[in-house]
Amino acid sequence: MILPLVILYVVTLVYLSITERFRTYASIIGLQGWILFGVALLRLHRIDLPELLFISVETLLFKALLVPALLFAVIRRTHIHRVRTSGSSQFNALLLSVGAAAAAITLTAAMADGNIDRVFFGVALYAVLSGLILIVVRSRIFSHMVGFLVIENGVFLFSMAVGTEMPFLINVAILLDIMISVLMLGIFFMRIGNKLHADDADSLTNVKD
Amino acid sequence: MLLAYFILSVLIALATFRAGGRRTVAMLGTAFFAVQFALAAALFRCGFRGGAEALFFTPDALGSLFFVLLAAVSALVFIHSRDYLADCAIADYRRYAALQMLLTAAITGAYFANNVAVTWIFLEATTLCAAGLVYFRHTEHSLEAAWKYVFVCSTGIAVAYLGILLLGTAATGGSLGYEALAREVTHGNPLYLKTAFVLILCGYSCKLEIFPLHTVGVDANFAAPAPASALISTGLVNAGFVAVYRIYRIMMQTEAAPWVRSVLLLTGVASLAVGAFFLRRTNNYKRFLSYSTVENMGIAAIGLGIGGPGVWAAVFHTACHTLVKSSLFLQTAVMHGIYDDYRINRIGDYMRINRIGAIGFLLGAVMLLAFPPSPLFVSELMILGGVLADERWWLAALLLVLLCIVIYSFVSRIVRLCYQPNQDAVHRPAASHRLAWTALVPLGVALVLGLWQPEALRALIERIVTI
Repeated sequence: MILPLVILYVVTLVYLSITERFRTYASIIGLQGWILFGVALLRLHRIDLPELLFISVETLLFKALLVPALLFAVIRRTHIHRVRTSGSSQFNALLLSVGAAAAAITLTAAMADGNIDRVFFGVALYAVLSGLILIVVRSRIFSHMVGFLVIENGVFLFSMAVGTEMPFLINVAILLDIMISVLMLGIFFMRIGNKLHADDADSLTNVKD
Repeated sequence: MLLAYFILSVLIALATFRAGGRRTVAMLGTAFFAVQFALAAALFRCGFRGGAEALFFTPDALGSLFFVLLAAVSALVFIHSRDYLADCAIADYRRYAALQMLLTAAITGAYFANNVAVTWIFLEATTLCAAGLVYFRHTEHSLEAAWKYVFVCSTGIAVAYLGILLLGTAATGGSLGYEALAREVTHGNPLYLKTAFVLILCGYSCKLEIFPLHTVGVDANFAAPAPASALISTGLVNAGFVAVYRIYRIMMQTEAAPWVRSVLLLTGVASLAVGAFFLRRTNNYKRFLSYSTVENMGIAAIGLGIGGPGVWAAVFHTACHTLVKSSLFLQTAVMHGIYDDYRINRIGDYMRINRIGAIGFLLGAVMLLAFPPSPLFVSELMILGGVLADERWWLAALLLVLLCIVIYSFVSRIVRLCYQPNQDAVHRPAASHRLAWTALVPLGVALVLGLWQPEALRALIERIVTI
């Protein structure tokens, strides 16, 4: 049951690389949250019940519900709906995504040993690279934020790749990371839209030498 | 002891958020720093030998050394901030003071954490507190800097987290405590260890203010009020140093040690080069001092990279840099009170306008450029000696060229500040004279350390570097 979920997760990453509508971004982030919730339930069912509850609830509450809701709220407030047309084309983005997948597979083959789950490791790497690509090639701040959220989801998957047991501290760290995501969305929602041109990362280049 | 410290510090900081007036903030600040100095005194009494562990914290020599410096710098920052922010509304001032207290406590947590995940958590917490200080002015610039700081630091910290997970995988026992990791990773998979170190160093570089994520620290220092920059550019940078150094110590007992040293050397040289280049380029005194931090932490990274006596020099360099850089940032706060400007090409004639402040800048520059009797002369000489002893001639030549660029940039800018004709309006805040004197205190301590390093300090650093 886990494998279909992981494959679906990979599909969301590919789709994320080619889509240009922000509502789709928000929907995909929400879908990824639900997939991670399912993966966490299935993969971590052997750990203590309180820990399992903690991880499941935080994944469901934040990754599947709160963060996508905040993304939709940002879209409604800022009225930005698409990535910039002058940005990287869909074909180039797809090429980059395929390159990232190839890099992730190569790195996994080179690195993973018996201590690491190869499937999770590879997909987590692909997610991290996809997030970085979104941040680098897209020019709107909203895309950067989505890129960060994709990296965060990749890190969550990575923590699953390195062991089925999650120490308490790892849980706290994941929760703190999610809080930071929410804070960033809050800053974007409450402040940047009012003071800066929220649709363009170029407006964030005044502080420089 | 440490748990009581954290509880009291956080409670006082939270109370400061609700303070009714400046007098109350001052009283709460006094209480907060009484707690800091009480802990420093307790650490001193036990000879910085490390007391009992408290949950996830151990008061070891490394954490204790940097905590004492943090407490002193943070107290000076609090004193300066009161005058620097005299015109602010009480709501803004109490928020600033509370965030400064929380940042100090979070940095302390990162210093004393005995678990790699706890260090990570506290470094993440420092991002939240520092971002609040950066956004203090509520201007477009401060918003941009705060956004970049939160965004890049969070991404960097997430990358470091990948490294931590990989490091945990390389260990056999599954514990993320530093001592347990040091025991368990000795025979860990070298590829995991190498990758983990690169990811952790890359992620923490936003806190350590070295290449590649140094830019956010520079922007944060630029946008934050100058006294807060003194804390960010020293205490917070040291938190990054402590975090990287603890991983470095673990790595030195593994097969990945030569790789780790090479990575640190490369990162250090890149940071020094970036610092030297931008010291020439920038037109803002706060950014100028921030690039100097990049350059100095690059030197510390090179010290760790060459190993041996270089490690001692790196720890000593970082500690002394804290004293000198905090003094210079506090002098910058005084300067801002007079000119209401930081632009290098606009302001000048500081020797006539504020003689004590100008002497502070000149002395600080001499110290930072590692001219005798600067303590940084001792550390940089040791590092250069280590490079030459390893017969890395190309590296020695590159270091000397880059240091010459740094010296030229620094001298030309500071001489300009002191003697070029001033083009801005001048105000004379009543407190500027007193504050300029206060800012000289850490510089005086650095001067003493340059002339004479007490045996206790030498032994303390020796204990820190002994693996």
